[in-house]
Amino acid sequence: MKKLLIILIFLSPFLAQAQGFQVNLQGQKQQSMGGTGTGVALDEASVFFNPGAVSHLEKNGVSLGISPTIANSTFESSSSQTQNRTNSPVSTPFTGYAVFGREESKFKFGLGVYTPFGSTIKWEDGWAGRFQLTKLQLFSVFIQPTVSYKISDKIGIGAGFVYGIGKIDLRRDLPIVDGNGNYSSAKLTGNASGIGFNAGIYLKPIEKLSIGITYRSQVNMKVNNGNAEFTVPGSLSSSFPSGPFTSSLPLPQVISIGVGVTPIEKLLITADVNFIGWSAYKELAFDYENNTSSLQDTKSVRNYKDTYAFRLGGQYSVKENLRVRAGIAYQLTPVQDGYVTPEVPDANKISYTAGIGYKFADKLTVDASFTFEDYAKRTDTNKESNFSGSYKTYIAIPGISLTYNF
Amino acid sequence: MKKIFTRTLYIAICISVVVACKPKLETPSADKGSLDLTTYVAIGNSITAGYADNALYRKGQENSYAKLLAEQFQLAGGGTFKIPYIDPNSVGIGSSGNARYALTTITDACQGTYLTPQPVAGSGDATIFASVYAAQGPFNSFGVPGAKSFHVPFAGYGNTANGAGNYNPFFTRMAADPVASSMLTDALARNPTFFSLFIGNNDVLLYALSGGAQDAITPTGTFNASIDGIINALVGVSPQGVIANVPDITSLPYFTTIPYNGLVIDATTAANLNALHSGSDATFHAGANGFLIADASATGGKRNAVEGEFILLTTPQNSIKCAGLGSATPMATQYVLTATEADAIKTATDAYNTKLKAVADLKGLAFVDANAFLKSAITGLTFDGIDVSTAFVSGGAFSLDGVHLTPLGNALLANEFIRSINAQYGSGIPLVDVTKYHGVIFP
Repeated sequence: MKKLLIILIFLSPFLAQAQGFQVNLQGQKQQSMGGTGTGVALDEASVFFNPGAVSHLEKNGVSLGISPTIANSTFESSSSQTQNRTNSPVSTPFTGYAVFGREESKFKFGLGVYTPFGSTIKWEDGWAGRFQLTKLQLFSVFIQPTVSYKISDKIGIGAGFVYGIGKIDLRRDLPIVDGNGNYSSAKLTGNASGIGFNAGIYLKPIEKLSIGITYRSQVNMKVNNGNAEFTVPGSLSSSFPSGPFTSSLPLPQVISIGVGVTPIEKLLITADVNFIGWSAYKELAFDYENNTSSLQDTKSVRNYKDTYAFRLGGQYSVKENLRVRAGIAYQLTPVQDGYVTPEVPDANKISYTAGIGYKFADKLTVDASFTFEDYAKRTDTNKESNFSGSYKTYIAIPGISLTYNF
Repeated sequence: MKKIFTRTLYIAICISVVVACKPKLETPSADKGSLDLTTYVAIGNSITAGYADNALYRKGQENSYAKLLAEQFQLAGGGTFKIPYIDPNSVGIGSSGNARYALTTITDACQGTYLTPQPVAGSGDATIFASVYAAQGPFNSFGVPGAKSFHVPFAGYGNTANGAGNYNPFFTRMAADPVASSMLTDALARNPTFFSLFIGNNDVLLYALSGGAQDAITPTGTFNASIDGIINALVGVSPQGVIANVPDITSLPYFTTIPYNGLVIDATTAANLNALHSGSDATFHAGANGFLIADASATGGKRNAVEGEFILLTTPQNSIKCAGLGSATPMATQYVLTATEADAIKTATDAYNTKLKAVADLKGLAFVDANAFLKSAITGLTFDGIDVSTAFVSGGAFSLDGVHLTPLGNALLANEFIRSINAQYGSGIPLVDVTKYHGVIFP
């Protein structure tokens, strides 16, 4: 019975969008442009994309946005060839940014409240991977007060402190049945928190070119007082005591370099490269307060590798008050062969993005975007569970934001 | 402009809902290769019948590896597979007239409250022995609990007139003609296009189950002649089939759950036992000791069990824990498989397996190394996140009798058959989804 409880993989929730930072649901304009934004001072979302560029924003503003994320994965077992799908509910990452500073001041202050990770993956009932995961719900919010200083018209620097809070709910079945044929299950819930920072430099050496470099630190999200709840046959209840657990997960550091080019007046071309330090994610450990011979602390090897994302975007001003945008991104998976799991059915992916911005009034702008992410088919046999099969995922993300400038 | 904006959003949502909903993966169709699975017959013993939890009962039948195989075959042109089913509400019946076992919480003075297998009724359901051939036959499953190699071609194996012990009521209930049928003749009468043969376990097992106290190991010559007769007759009708070899039965939980040296005592107890058994071959020391077993050839008629000997699952555990069995009083021979007996079993098993492999090769049949598979499971295997081992109850693969399989164990075995068949016949029959099959049921 010792291993019955198996490796509770739970924390990968934070990875639910494995390249979570890189999904870049942090600003509608940037999202429309392939997730670029490091090298340009586009709008209030620079609080996230490049705190150094905040000082170069022309106006103060407040922006609120939401990006309903519709993710669908299909799995096909290599052995039985049966297919299973997710029926995840739509998750709703949101953003709120505020930037303000006196016109004569070289300082600008910003506040970002955004959802770097926030999704639910739920596999259909009775699916072949249920002993690894049936449902994973994640909600997290980063709060980032930011200061940006305009050294000159050609250079700006900025930094923000990141306080992250998160909530998770992970469920899986256990391969233990009762007399009615019901499988046992585990439910792990908890709150997590962590701190970090976000710093950047913004350069505008000539009128037609801007450059940005940012560093977002690793944020170690810690679950200090989670609650593990087991539903097992009565005769085993003392073997699977519900109770507290602790765990943690590193959200990786990200180094980004981006450029913005204005070849003609109405056209802006942007490009970003992100380096994501996923190699910090070596293993996932769970420490249960009440251990029994059936419920042991677990350590599950993850062995993520550092990875990159490449992004290209464009914005064209059709009219004074109307802009259209498009972009494309290619993001490499940090998950190595042998480590793909149902909570992160990750793979290399291409994102196609498009969007539109319309200024209704002098002070009010609406931006909308649409992102479609096409994950490469990924066939893998997990080294821990021997769960073998192919995954295919599409994610569609329409988004909209309202910005008020003053 | 507002219109354009609204429309864009509308299109976006449509794409989200329609396109994103169903990522597609191409499923290769089950490829039957050169196989003709139109009529599959399964010949074997209790394992093929789906006997489990020390009885033949409906749930076990429904989860037999042969049934699971037939279901996968149906993905590749296989026909219906008929099993002589028992009423779903029956408590079933085991070889000693018992009802099926269930894991039960009991409380007693010796061990307090604990989980242990108990029969679900005072006795088994002998009404199941009435013939079901007219109602349900003809059958595809010829799994007969207790059948040995030489029983397969034995005409009249179901003939009650032979007298107790000389016929098998599990065959009586399913035989086309209990007086004249053999398992083989009934199977051949189906004109099979594919067969499986998994026989030979009982040729050593029934001897082993009784600690060598009853029954006898089938001589190799008898075994070989039986196999030749069976295979030649089968191949004459159906050139395609699969043979599984005989697992090393001493790896089964029935033999491994109680360790030979499970007597762990302190120095005082050891001294007391040494005094009690002075003048015999038995000696005791602080720590783990071989249980005290009866052995007529040992000095004083008793000695310690040694490595390579097996204490059987049927040994009353309360007597061990609370009444000095295996310490103060020796364990009787029917609870112990001695090294000599175990060696005889191993020698016979090896010989059987040599024969089975040779026959499979000679006839170009698929071959399942069930012995190797069982051995690989001793240290534990993981399938789709399910940890499986040969451990009793917790291992998940073996049912409450410590010999027969759970539904999960059957699914794993069926997959070994499918792998071998696919390798031999170039087919692509999908494996059973093992996550749909459970291990031991807990109250």
